[in-house]
Formats: sequence, structure tokens, C-alpha cells
Amino acid sequence: MNNFTKELVDSLAEKLLIGLTEEENQMVLDEFAIIDENLGKLEIDGLENVEPMTHCLDDFYCTLREDIAEESIPIEDLLRNSDQTEGREIEVPKVVGE
Amino acid sequence: MNYMHKSIEELHEDLINGQVTSEDLVKEALEKTHEVQEKCNAFVTILDDAKPGDVTDNLLSGIPFGIKDNYSTKDILSTGSSNTLKDYVPFFNATAVENLYKAGAIPVNKTVMDEFGMGGTGTTGHTGAVKNPWDLSRSCAGSSAGSACAVASGVYPYALGSDTGDSIRKPAAYCGIVGYKPTYGIISRYGLFPFASSLDHCGVFSRNVRDAAIVVDAMKGIDKNDMTSWDSSNIHLLESLNGDVKGKKVCYIKEICDIKNYENPTEELKLHLENFMNVLENIKKLGIVVEEVSVDKKLLDAEPSVYVAISCAEATSNMSNLTGIIFGPRGSGANINEVMMDHRTHGFSPLIKRRFVIGSYILQKENQERYFKNAQRVRRLLVDTWKKLYETYDAVILPVGSGPAKHLDGSKDILTKDTAVLEEHMQIGNFGGFPSITIPDGFINDLPVALNITGNVYDDANVLNIAYAIESQMNFKNQIAKEVK
Repeated sequence: MNNFTKELVDSLAEKLLIGLTEEENQMVLDEFAIIDENLGKLEIDGLENVEPMTHCLDDFYCTLREDIAEESIPIEDLLRNSDQTEGREIEVPKVVGE
Repeated sequence: MNYMHKSIEELHEDLINGQVTSEDLVKEALEKTHEVQEKCNAFVTILDDAKPGDVTDNLLSGIPFGIKDNYSTKDILSTGSSNTLKDYVPFFNATAVENLYKAGAIPVNKTVMDEFGMGGTGTTGHTGAVKNPWDLSRSCAGSSAGSACAVASGVYPYALGSDTGDSIRKPAAYCGIVGYKPTYGIISRYGLFPFASSLDHCGVFSRNVRDAAIVVDAMKGIDKNDMTSWDSSNIHLLESLNGDVKGKKVCYIKEICDIKNYENPTEELKLHLENFMNVLENIKKLGIVVEEVSVDKKLLDAEPSVYVAISCAEATSNMSNLTGIIFGPRGSGANINEVMMDHRTHGFSPLIKRRFVIGSYILQKENQERYFKNAQRVRRLLVDTWKKLYETYDAVILPVGSGPAKHLDGSKDILTKDTAVLEEHMQIGNFGGFPSITIPDGFINDLPVALNITGNVYDDANVLNIAYAIESQMNFKNQIAKEVK
């Protein structure tokens, strides 16, 4: 049995920095109950010995790039999508000393 | 004269012969874009200032196309259909888009999707629901709803989609067109907004298999910016389409296709499965060997939950950068946390929010073993089961969904206890990175239905060739949606 409760849902949402309505909270609980039931009832002998699959391609071989310096993106381009900037920096509320 | 109903090769020939110009095609595509927008709400952005291009030997040169709104497009709004990025304009192109630009292709619009690809109804985008061009009261499915709608409506011959759990292949079915998700990594994901990185694929919608091959030939290629991409320079999809499928072996799965597995089946489901079995009988005439196989029902039944567990967990992590600080509309609040919380609370739709919470719970240290790791273990068992089938068969062939497009007012996108494996089985194609293509295979109540063909990794040419042969035997290629209701 899972211990997925309304309070836990609110706590997780807060850590994720998202607010949930009562209705949204209930929807999470309803949906999770089904996932829990389906995954929980999967009784396969030796499942614990199966290697978790984290990537599509078993034979994937990662090739590292050559370590060659490339031209950086102009800072003006990087700042273009931020709503609050000052000069070459992004402006945020004071964090240090809070 | 109209041209946008034609195939890529026909349009190329017309361009080369001087029968039409790229300017004419762009003009027509834009006119159709506005018509379809009025009826179906398929676009986030319409590029009214799109410029025609030079016509070269490349089949795609000078021809308009559409781009799902989760592909980064330089200097063009790219929202992922989310309020959190409603004004975001990238400073670079996704590699897949850049490759098409190099081929001379002309973008004319960005298409609506379920927010960040996290949905299967085409109803959760920040600009509203996309309507099915065959029946405006029905859904296009999702997440690549706008691209499917536009191609089916004859706006252009092809559009880009992305597919994390069937987001190309289900909308293609509902809209009566072709949807192709190639092997994982054959197309770079650089510049595609990440949803669940181990499942995300780039792909294409078209109205015939040859066009799908042409477009993916142009999109693919190893990319230094995507470490999961691989060298496919020895794969030539268009060239490999010869229609010779004599002796090819395909299988279908009894637990999915047998009507006896379903309690109180709808009339549409009965007709859909009956039609599918008739198609299987017909394709034997092509020389294809068709056999029924059985797969552990318990394993199949776990599949939808495995998808939700893995995709939610990966999405929670991937989307933690959406804070409204570096990009996206700035939230309000007294401190940095309140600013980010305001942005995320008001920016994300309810569907996304609940998936984040589920993903976060699954990733908690004390829950990882039971949920996340077990989901990954079942993923491997399912993929191994399919790979075992590929030792004997060239492809697995299955019906898509439980019938034609669903009514918009019934599109809730909630995982329910009776979620049939029939609706979700194409997610196994994402688990294994398998090449997978949907083609239309009939009509039920005047609405299109489809079948799906999925093969082993790297075997794209074989899968496409089987699809090409089956398509050639039926009368549904190059069809344009005609509003029927």
C-alpha cells in the first residue's frame, strides 16, 4: 500500500514550487492509486534481478567530442528572453541575507 | 490551381518543370493555414512573412512544411504550447529543423500541441483545443495534434512531430495520415524541448510512406550536440522502398487483437478489430506471412503504468528549469521562491502539475525501488519480449487505439483503471526505441482508423518497406480530410 495522502501531495507540490487546487490534489490521488495498484500487483518471479532499463539502445556507445573551444553565444542573445535584466545580468529578488 | 494536396515528389517535379513556383506554394500553404486555423485551431504561430526558397535537386527544396511548437526555431516563437514559454523566442534552431533548412524546406507555421507533449488529446495547449478536420466535434489525439491536423487538411505535404508515448502515431491514426517515429537517436533531439529524455523521439507526419522516408532522410544524422544520436549515413530510407515484401514475417498479438479480451466492447471497437483482421488477410496476398502470437497479459497490463511512472519522473527533472527567471514570463512575489512559484502555478496546466507531483513522489529515495526502478525493470521485460519476437518476425503489426477519433468532450487524459493496452501499446515502441509507423487502414462511421507497424531498432528501412507495400495495396494514401460531420 502506498502512503500517498492529500498532505503529502501538497508537500511535494510545494517543493516543486507549484500550487494545487483541491480538485487538482484529488486528481493526483486518483491517478496515483491506479499506478500504485498496477505496478504493485506485478508479481514476476525474479523481477528484482532484472536490470532496470534506462536507455533505449543497449548497444549505445558514447563518443566524446574533441576538446576544441568554440565561439560562445553572445550574451545579448542569452538575455533576450528574460523579463528583467540589468546590463549584462539577470535581475532577481535579493537572495543572500534572506 | 491547387498543389498542396500533392506528394513531395509530385511537387518537386512541378517545381523543376516550372509549372509552379516556390512562391506560389508558400502563398497557397499560408492561405490554407488561415482556413484551417479558423476551423480547427491548429497553429500557435503563422509565418505570414515566410519567403519562398530556391529550387534545387533536393526533393524538399522550395516546399512548405510545418513545425511542432516544441522544436526550437531561431527568431520564431517556440512555446511548447505552454503559458510558461508563451513569449519564448529561441536564438538557435533544433538540429532536425536546421537539417531541413539546409535541404531548402520552407517553414510556414508552428503547430499546437499538448503542453510540452504531456498529453494525448490535443486539448491542453495554451491556445486551446485542436479540432479534428474530419469531424470538428472530435479530437486529433496528441500531443502532436496541430501537425496531424494540418497535414490531413492539405496545408502542406508534411510536418514535424515528436513522440514520447505515441504522440505522432496516434494523431496520425485519428487524422487518416502517416505518422513515423524512427529508431531512437537517428534524428538528433538537440533543440527539441525535453519531456522524458529516454523516451523522446523526433519524427514526421505525411500523407504517404514515401514522403515520410524523404523527410526523415533529410532530418537524420549524427549530431555533436546530441550524444544519443548515431551515424546513420549508411541508411537511405527512400532508396530502400521497393515494395518487395515476399517472405517477410509479421505477427499480431492475441491479447490485444482478440475481441474476446474486451468486456462489453463498443460497436466501433468491434468494427475496428474486424477491419484490422481483414487487412491482415489481404496482406498475405503480398507474400507476407502473418502469424498470431501470445504475450503475457500481466506484463501487457502493466505497460500504461510503466509509461506514466518513467515519463513523469523524467519530466519532473527535465522541467525544473522552467522558473520564469532566465526565460518565460516573470512571476511576482516577495522572494525568489515566491516568484518562481507564481510563474509555475499559473503557467502550467493542471495535467502537467499532477504529473510533476507523481514524478516527484516516484523519485523520492524511499519510493524509487518500488516505483521507478520496478517500472524500468518492467520496461526491460517488455522490450526483451518484443526483441524476442523480432528474432522470428520482421515486425509486430497492431491496430491503433480502440477505434476512430474520440469526441472532444470525452478527452480527459486521465489514466483510468480500464485503460486498455489497446490504447497504449505503441508506448512499447518508445521503451525500446523501435522504428514505428502508423498508416491508415480503413474507415468506421466515415472516420479514419489505422494500423501500426513496429520493428527492431535500426531496421527502419525494413519497417518502412513493409508499410509501403501494405499502403500500396489499400486506397488510403494521399487522402485529404473531408469534414464529414
